[in-house]
Amino acid sequence: MSRRMKTEYGVFAVVLAVLFVLPLTGAASDNAMRIAFNIALYAVFAQMWNLMCGYAGLLSLGQQMFIGVSGYATAVVCTSYGMPFVLGLLVSGVVSALLALFLSVLLLRMRGLYFAIATWIVSEMIKILFTGWKLVNYAGGMTIRVTPYPTLSQQFMLILALAAASFLLVQAMLRSKIGLGLAAMRDDPDAAAGLGVNIFKMKTLCFTVCGFVTGIGGSIAYLNRLSVFPNGAFAIDWTIAIVFAVIIGGTSTATGPIVGAFVYVLLFNFLSRYAGYSNIILGVIAIAVIVVAPKGIMGTLQNRFKFELFSSTRPSLD
Amino acid sequence: MAQAVLQGILLGGVFAVVGIGMSMIFGIVKLANLAHGEFFILGAYLSMLFAGQLDISPLLTLVIVVPLMFVAGYALQGALINRVLGMGDEPPLLITFGLSFILQNVLLLIFSADPQTLKTTYQLKTIVVSDSLIVPVLYLVNFIVGALVILILGLFLRFTYTGQAIRAVSDDNMAASLMGISVKRSYSIAMGIATSTAAVAGVVIGTTFTFYPYTGSEYLLVAFGVVVLGGMGSIPGTLVGGLVFGLARTIGSQVFGTNYQMMIGYIILLAMLMIRPQGLFSK
Amino acid sequence: MCAEPLLRVEGVCAKYGDFLAVAGASFEVPAQSIVSVIGANGAGKSTLMDCIAGVHKPVSGRILFKGEDITGLSPNGVVAKRLALVPQGSRCFTRMTVEHNLLMGAYPKHARAGRGERLEKVYELFPMLREKRKDLSGSLSGGQRQMVAIGRALMSAPELILFDEISLGLAPTVIKDIYQRIRAINREGVSVVLVEQDVARSKKTSAYSYIMLRGEMVLSGPSKELDDEKVKNAYFGVR
Repeated sequence: MSRRMKTEYGVFAVVLAVLFVLPLTGAASDNAMRIAFNIALYAVFAQMWNLMCGYAGLLSLGQQMFIGVSGYATAVVCTSYGMPFVLGLLVSGVVSALLALFLSVLLLRMRGLYFAIATWIVSEMIKILFTGWKLVNYAGGMTIRVTPYPTLSQQFMLILALAAASFLLVQAMLRSKIGLGLAAMRDDPDAAAGLGVNIFKMKTLCFTVCGFVTGIGGSIAYLNRLSVFPNGAFAIDWTIAIVFAVIIGGTSTATGPIVGAFVYVLLFNFLSRYAGYSNIILGVIAIAVIVVAPKGIMGTLQNRFKFELFSSTRPSLD
Repeated sequence: MAQAVLQGILLGGVFAVVGIGMSMIFGIVKLANLAHGEFFILGAYLSMLFAGQLDISPLLTLVIVVPLMFVAGYALQGALINRVLGMGDEPPLLITFGLSFILQNVLLLIFSADPQTLKTTYQLKTIVVSDSLIVPVLYLVNFIVGALVILILGLFLRFTYTGQAIRAVSDDNMAASLMGISVKRSYSIAMGIATSTAAVAGVVIGTTFTFYPYTGSEYLLVAFGVVVLGGMGSIPGTLVGGLVFGLARTIGSQVFGTNYQMMIGYIILLAMLMIRPQGLFSK
Repeated sequence: MCAEPLLRVEGVCAKYGDFLAVAGASFEVPAQSIVSVIGANGAGKSTLMDCIAGVHKPVSGRILFKGEDITGLSPNGVVAKRLALVPQGSRCFTRMTVEHNLLMGAYPKHARAGRGERLEKVYELFPMLREKRKDLSGSLSGGQRQMVAIGRALMSAPELILFDEISLGLAPTVIKDIYQRIRAINREGVSVVLVEQDVARSKKTSAYSYIMLRGEMVLSGPSKELDDEKVKNAYFGVR
């Protein structure tokens, strides 16, 4: 580990520790805690979407399928069977990962755009299935009953831990052989395949990891929301918010998803007082960013000041 | 069942129009316009607005809606999308994604989430063919409008300078520019055509089914299905794609109930994406 | 005093990304002549032609056509000045018929009048195209596609045509045939720039030759007077 990396991870650990202790001090209001919870939640989702789109070249418009399935898995495990939340959490992750693994076989051979649409279609199909499924109470939705119900502070710690873990996981993946393969694949897929990079295997791994972590995030999200309905759970709005966060923060950057989640949640919170207009304003901001600064906040800053936080590029690749 | 097949075919003519603009943009600009569904539904809302204000039939409002939507599409392409072409695949795609989100929310703000329909004088009339087969006049009119749109578009692309220029651009845009064709202007015209045909489809569908601001995304997937099935930029392919999706919907709804009416269509689309993403009618 | 040349290229530089593909190239084409630009693969010839035709924007330098500055004009602007490019690899509209391809050549406003007669002339020059006029150009052979591309360029009634590696990948007999037609086109008063890797053939056909290396013209002179040994050295960059 280089000296610079040591400093970066040192700062990361300190910030994390401070955030972790924050709710224990009681200094933060409930409202602030809710905002913090959402930032961490979207940081998880954005991190996973960035792993897919920013590094593995898989533009997914179907993240809502993992979130929705997890919401329901949590409801079934915890409410219908009265199991502890930990189990709901694990089942959510595993079910989402299996869903991703299964879909890998079907979807990963498709090129960019087709993959994007296919993930969306699959989400719509799952929504239709859930709407007609007795076990999950058709379109009527389910409540999520967890006893003992964790406090908001505990929920925040949980999602914060997941956010930190997902960040470190993506970093570790990018620094490993997988990262090298992904970089080669992005530069020239044919050449990478010729060099023996198993593109399919690598994409499957990214997609499955994405399913697993997004699923766990979805489970915590629904723990917080207390009820789950097919229309909301499988709404494309989830993906819209995630894509917004990553675009604003900066695609293919390590810290972009976190910065983006911050900006998105704060902006969303701020704009919520302009009911009806808030989504329109968010959409306009997103488009403006794509046109003016397509690399997002972190990408633009890194280009201008010639630095890269948590750089995963190896000198040998340059 | 014969009834479902007949209605499916008639509906297919309209679905083909839903998809034809998407297909053009796909073939010419090489872009999947994720806001296509919103343009479609915007057409229905505009028609509702003008039909109410001027007290005319929804079909007559096309005289205003079509040029209006053409200008909107032309301006959108010229002012926004043309700027980000050449920055890779993702930026233009994400711009249309953002646009779809904005339009949806604008519609929601203005028209609320209430379901709407466009009322026509012929909506309940039928032509009885036999005991088991009746032709709803509404579906028949829709089909005729759809067929006309496709016919006019086909003639335009074949016999006008502008139409030929668009075809040339779709074939090889560098060579087309050497012929003195402005590629970006052709893109804008194509987008104008795409948005106005989508609006026609929206008006026609609006007379038949209820719609609300979110209906757009449902029809985006129909449009996409038609494109994938028919192959991009192919007019006969688009027609076949439309028919398949129309049939899938009416038969699906008959066999599995309305909740699952889109399921067959989605399955076909997914299967196509896996097996033959270039469509049935492309080389 | 010498007459003003039809085309004058002055110190044009052009980049591909960060790579300087054309590094200050200058050359001239006198009216009604055939000039060849010879160079190895990667010498920057195609990029230079693309700059002249307006497909690629040069970063510096000037391009004068008929005394007018056409630097940085859009491709449609350049065609309207009656300068046409037959691009590398023919770039036919493969999903259109041969005749539609040719008619697309007459798309510029100035070329629409009299396009019927010009079409007839193209068919006289290439009788094969008349036979195949209803066929999709995608179904033709490489040589036939080049003929379509040449005919298409002629349809815009140009005063100067740039031929970018017209012989690339074609059989020697086909190349010979195409070169004959190019000379015929020149006899009708159209000036010609031949961009080639093949030294012997282009030297033989042209009145004046330029040798291009690493984005610059390193040697030039009347084709007949150019010493073969010197041309070879310039071509490969041997000093």
